[in-house]
Amino acid sequence: MFQLSLKNLLRNKRRTFLTGASVSLTLILVCLLGAVLTAMESAEGSADNRIVVRSAISLTFSLPESYWQRLQQMDHVLAVTPLNWFGGIYKDERPENFFAQFSCDPQTLLDVWPEYQIPQDQVATWRQERNSFICGQALADKYGWKIGDQIFIKGSIYPVDLTLTLRGIYTEPNAPSAEKSIYFHRKYLEEALGNPGQVGTFFLRIDSPDNVGTVVQHAEAMFENSEAQVRAETEKAFSLSFLEMLGNIRMFLGAIGAAIVVSLLFITANTMAMAARERTSEVAVLKTLGFRQGHVVRLVMFESLAVGLGGALVGLGLAYVLVRGAARGMENVFPIFGTLAVTPPVALLALGLGILIGLVSGGFPAWQAARLSIVDGLRKLA
Amino acid sequence: MSDPLIQLRGVTKVYRRDQFEIPVLEGIDLDIAEGEFVALMGPSGSGKSTLLNLMAGVDSPTSGRIVVAGSDIAQLGEGELAPWRHRNVGFIFQFYNLIPVLTARENVELPLKLASLSRQDRRLKVETALELVGLADRMDHYPKQLSGGQKQRVAIARALVTAPTFLLADEPTGDLDAASASDVLDLLGQLNQEFQKTTVMVTHDPRAAERARVLYHLEKGQLQREHTGAV
Repeated sequence: MFQLSLKNLLRNKRRTFLTGASVSLTLILVCLLGAVLTAMESAEGSADNRIVVRSAISLTFSLPESYWQRLQQMDHVLAVTPLNWFGGIYKDERPENFFAQFSCDPQTLLDVWPEYQIPQDQVATWRQERNSFICGQALADKYGWKIGDQIFIKGSIYPVDLTLTLRGIYTEPNAPSAEKSIYFHRKYLEEALGNPGQVGTFFLRIDSPDNVGTVVQHAEAMFENSEAQVRAETEKAFSLSFLEMLGNIRMFLGAIGAAIVVSLLFITANTMAMAARERTSEVAVLKTLGFRQGHVVRLVMFESLAVGLGGALVGLGLAYVLVRGAARGMENVFPIFGTLAVTPPVALLALGLGILIGLVSGGFPAWQAARLSIVDGLRKLA
Repeated sequence: MSDPLIQLRGVTKVYRRDQFEIPVLEGIDLDIAEGEFVALMGPSGSGKSTLLNLMAGVDSPTSGRIVVAGSDIAQLGEGELAPWRHRNVGFIFQFYNLIPVLTARENVELPLKLASLSRQDRRLKVETALELVGLADRMDHYPKQLSGGQKQRVAIARALVTAPTFLLADEPTGDLDAASASDVLDLLGQLNQEFQKTTVMVTHDPRAAERARVLYHLEKGQLQREHTGAV
């Protein structure tokens, strides 16, 4: 029986290939969307005790440096550090040479990110040298940087260029994407800019994730009547806000995924129905030979399941490769996507959809074949 | 005298098309003895194929009894008829109806897949059947690689391979040239004579009908025994 199903699949190779390819393509998209949604969910859902305070108007607006001290005095706040996005050009403007560059306060940065592991002697040297910087291990490995190396960064947002000396390399085993940034002295940049006293964002470490909500409320309330109102949010919500600028991404992606799957279901079902209809007379012959309804149903269902499952497996394999590539390509721009992966739940979803497509698309032709009257089927031959 | 192998009593068949009723067979009585070679002739639309389909259990009568080897198949449901057909009926079609994606060997093996046989037993039966119809050297050919006469011989091997109680042939030479038709009729005659295989053949061709020992003529739903031939 299965031999006949397999041979039937190869009867019209082009149609089988195109149908399988459409299933694969759809499930690649589902896997990509699933990986993105999973990355977003995991970023938003995990517990966090870091808060970002920034201008309520937009990220492009700065806050007065004087807010730093007031934020430090709030209840439950363990440490506050200012961070400015420099966004300069290293070597050239190719995306592969893009990485995050922050001006920071070396005295407080590691109080807010205590999980960064860096030798104390390197920290001490970095804090003393105004034109020095620290970087993550992954970035040092990528460019072959060693302690004492100098790099040149051309400013693109700020009208200054920086020559910095590497004095420390940190690691963060739990967040590999965090190892792709550099941190240099805020005062070095401030002096070059004429000491404007402006800060892009403040990062706060809170004593407990339970108090995050309270601190967020108090921080926003504290500056409600100030010249520069603030928006406070968790660090991960802050990361997601870059994406949310595009709209309700999750709902958008989910709707696209559902539309694709439903469309494909109709296309595949129609193709399978066409293939089954072409063989109406053969089904009648099989029944004449003594094949029962159950045999005929299995014959048709095996074909459609083979297309659905085969397409799903190929799609999954390709999606795995593509997602890995996308993660590598996007992690510099959106570090949150550095963790993009086809997770087991997404893989199971894709396989399940492949099976569902096979079952649903084969179901109606199988039902028709089972109900086919032998006489009607044979009559189509005449 | 022993009971006939196939016995039809008062068989009628009426087709319904929308609000119209079209009577095809009216009160047919027919006895076919075991080992008989029967030809059914008649004009187009006279109900020859319908009568054959009723005997094969692929269609059911509007009324009447069809008793084959002691079973009244008119009383059987599709769930029982399918295995009954597999055990008792070898059906030969006008247009061969081979599965194009299967070789001659695989086509003949198809009905044996429903039996509890080892692969080796199936292989032996298939090769015996194909040798019997003279196609031992064409076993691995696909239908498109065979002539019309060869295809019909593969179809006959497929009908024979399960050792059915009787053979039913619906215009088996209708799509063949004269030489191939003669070969196929020789083969059916040989099966009937040497293996006493009961055979009922529908045909338009008087020369084919002459090969049968008994000839029936069907017209306007009525069956008439024309003559008893001599093979």
